[in-house]
This record gives sequence, C-alpha cells and structure tokens, in this order.
Amino acid sequence: MNLDFVLYLVINTLVVIAISPLFVSLIKKVKARAQGRRGPSIFQTYFTLIKLLKKEVIYSPNSSRIMRVTPLVTMAAILVAALFVPLVFVPEPVGGIGNIILFLYLLALARFFMALAGLDAGSSFGGMGSSREMSISSIIEPTTIIVFAALAFVFKTLNIFDMFTITATAGQPATSTLILIAISLFIIIIVETSRIPVDNPETHLELTMIHEGMILEQSGRNLALMELSSAVKMTVLMALLINLIVPFGLTTTLTLAGILIAMVFFVVKGSILAGIIGLFESSMAKKRFFQLPSLFAMAFFFSTLIIIIAVFS
Amino acid sequence: MIDTAIVVGIIRILFVCIIITAAYIISTRNLLSVVSVYALQSLTLVCIALALFSLEGSIILLAIAVVTFVSKVIIIPYFIATIQEKIRIKRDIEFHYLNPTTSLLISMALMLVIYMALSRIVPETPTRDSLFLFGAVLGISLMMMGMMVTFSRKRAITKVLGFLSMENGVLLFGMFVTELPFIIEFLIIIDLIILVILTTILSVGIDSTLEDYHKRLHRFHLLEDSEEAP
Repeated sequence: MNLDFVLYLVINTLVVIAISPLFVSLIKKVKARAQGRRGPSIFQTYFTLIKLLKKEVIYSPNSSRIMRVTPLVTMAAILVAALFVPLVFVPEPVGGIGNIILFLYLLALARFFMALAGLDAGSSFGGMGSSREMSISSIIEPTTIIVFAALAFVFKTLNIFDMFTITATAGQPATSTLILIAISLFIIIIVETSRIPVDNPETHLELTMIHEGMILEQSGRNLALMELSSAVKMTVLMALLINLIVPFGLTTTLTLAGILIAMVFFVVKGSILAGIIGLFESSMAKKRFFQLPSLFAMAFFFSTLIIIIAVFS
Repeated sequence: MIDTAIVVGIIRILFVCIIITAAYIISTRNLLSVVSVYALQSLTLVCIALALFSLEGSIILLAIAVVTFVSKVIIIPYFIATIQEKIRIKRDIEFHYLNPTTSLLISMALMLVIYMALSRIVPETPTRDSLFLFGAVLGISLMMMGMMVTFSRKRAITKVLGFLSMENGVLLFGMFVTELPFIIEFLIIIDLIILVILTTILSVGIDSTLEDYHKRLHRFHLLEDSEEAP
C-alpha cells in the first residue's frame, strides 16, 4: 500500500461525505420546482444532519443490541463500499478493493442490518418496511448482478478501478452498449435508493413507505447516520454511472490541480444527474407493489442483451 | 465523404435506440405515449437509412428514407392520434396470454435464438459483417416483438401498433440483408395506410360519421363525461 493509495482513501471518503447531502437536497429542490413550490434550500440536508447530530438518542425499551449497532454497521459498510468507486481520482487498485462482487455484498450487508433494525423495535411499521424491503431486494438482486455482469463482460474486468481507468484514458464517452448499461444502472439507482416508482422517500404513509418505515424508530445521531449513509449510497451509485458514461475530468494521476478540476466536474455532472432523477421522479406515479417486476425486467432485458452482444460479436 | 467508422458507430447507437423503443412498446400500459414512441422508432429507421445511404450511396435507400418519413413518422401517427382523441381510451391494461414482463423475457430468449440461427445462415463477408448481421437479427427480433404485442393486447389500437412495429422490423431486415425492390416497399406502405384507415373505421364506427358514432356511444353508456351529450 503506497502513499498515493492512502491519500486516495482520505480524499475519496471526505469528498463523498461532503457532496452527498448536496445531491439529496438538489433532488428535493428539483421536485419542489416541478410541483410549483419553492422548496427547501439546497443546503437544507446539511442543516438537518447537524441538528440531528446534536440531539439525544432514545431507544425503545423493547429494542436489543441490534438497534444500537445498526447505524454504525450500515455507515461503515456503505463507506467501505464508497471506497470501491473512485469519485475524482483513480489510483492503482490494492488488494481486493474495487472488486465488483464485494461491492454488491457490502451494499447487501448494509441493507440486511437495516431490515433487522426495522424488525428489532417491534413496531408494526418497521416490520412492514423490512418485509417489503426484503421482498423487493430479492427481486432486484438478480437484476443487479446481471447488470454488473454485463459491465464485467464489456470491460473484461471485475475491478471497478480498472473499468474507470479504461473509460478515463479512452476519453470518448457513450459507445452503443454503454447507453444500454446507463439505462440499467439508472433503474438500479432508482430502486436501490428507494425513489419514486418503487418507494416514496418523502411520505410517512403506512401504505407506501419502505425505507422510511425501517428507520422510523431511529433518533438523534443514529438517525443522522442512517440518513447520511443512504445519501452516500446514492452518491456512490451515481458516481458509478457518471464515471462510466461521461468520464471526462476524471484524473488518474495525483496532482492538486487535477483533483480540484475533477471535483468541480464531478459536482457539475452529479448535479445534472440529480436534476434528471428529480424530473424522472416528478413525471412518474408510484407503481403498485406487484407491478414493480416490470421495471426490473427492463434493466434485466437490457443487460442480458449487452451480454449477448458482448459474447457473440 | 464521411468516415466509415463514425457512420458505423452512429448506426450502432441507432440500433440501441430501436431496441429501447421496442422494449418500451412491448411493456408500457400508457396508450398515449405508444404512438409517439412508434413515431420515434420510425424516425430512427429513417436515420439508419440515411446513414446507410452515406455509406453505400444507393439512391433507393434515400427513397426509402423519404417514403418512411412521410408515411410512418407523419401520416400514420397522426391518424392514430386522431383515433385516440375520439375514443378516449388512455390505458391498455388488459392482456391475453402474456403480460408485459413475460413478453420482455420471452423476446430476450427469441433474440438469442435468432442470433444463433442467423449467424449460421448469413454468409460471412469480411467487411462490416458484424454490423449487418446485427441489423438482420434486430430486424427479425423487432418483427417477433411486434407479433407478441399484436397477440398479447386486447385493444384494437395496440394491436395495430404491434403490427406496424412488425413492419418496421421487415423494413430493417430488408435494408440490411436483402435488396427489397423499392416498389414492394412502397406497396407495403400503402397497405399500412389503408390498414390504419380501416382501423379508424373499425374502432370508431363502421357505418357512420364520427359525430353519429359519438351519440351511439352515449346511448350504450360507453362514454360518460362529455359535453356534447344529446
């Protein structure tokens, strides 16, 4: 492990934590504008997180140790997963970091603990949220694996760092297969971060909530950790899409100017993607639970097509 | 002359557009957007014909592009949009045999089978072979997907749209593999226009003007919220 890599670890973690609340508020802002409201300020998520960090944590008397460790485990798993996706600077991969399968399992670990915590407090909302989340994830997981398999087939590698190096040095975006991958990854982002056709992140209505239901019992700094971890997860998935499809600005050498430029580029591209997500959400209604597989089937269809193209031509 | 590699790249991207539109047509339940997506698909075909024209320079491709643009991007979508305004059906949620998800999965399998079959039949030519093979596969797959739309939907309008997208597949196959005589292409398009007009008559009323049929719909309580009630 060389100095470059240690610096990468620090830079990537700091950038992802600093940027992710911004994207969450941007999406809220775009949605508010689309509905004709003014919406909260784009720094509102930062304020909310700071406020929550100052508040006291209250546990239900029925809850066990799982409730106490879940925010930490979730945050840790997501942050380690964030290390697998370079945002601004791609170093040489060290050890198993960047492996696509490990990345998926880290996300699954975070989700597993979140579902356990939903059940743990014994409230009926939490149990319902956990049950729904697990049903959805059991359908979306094969699709996610196929999408990542398609990525591996196209780039002939299992390591995200190598993929980014290929796209960053090739410089030219958007070959035809990458468009299909972009659509599949977009659907994955929507599902994994509980956005509108799947789940509504703003509502606390018992019929619809999935993600909110699970974190209903969290309070204080634990809630802040949960919110931050879901924001980081969204940013990481967005970074995966951005750096694969429009990689310009991504740097492979460690210089201060290069990293600053890359950071500016990343914020701009991420804001555009956040705007697209916001518009997409505004244009859709929430789907019925049993119609969700048709959304996943679309991603499945496109990525299987990529594999067919990659294998046979 | 434009560089061949760039044109081939553009054609590949257009192929992807066709796949996306076909998947959308097969899986959506929203009738209003199906027509515009069909027009988009035809427009993509026009672009492919133009790109091929810049590659080969054969004047027939240009003629095909013009005829397709006039008929399938402008006239037919206009007719179908008019029908939709008259009959006021917005959603198509009834299916025979297959629901959209299953049809998507089946069409995927079909594509694989077609690829394997065609790669043995189509002779290997050294230049641009993968592009032409892919075009042929896509053409037949589009035909199959259109066929699935035709038999899995219950509404007449979606059935017709499935048939139209089937014809798009024939056109695509014809552009890439065989040399369809232009006169046949032209006749097919005239047939399609007649078909669409027939559909208008069938779905709006066989023996009457549009206004007459409106009244009849009211009598049978098929149409409720309308201000021109008798």
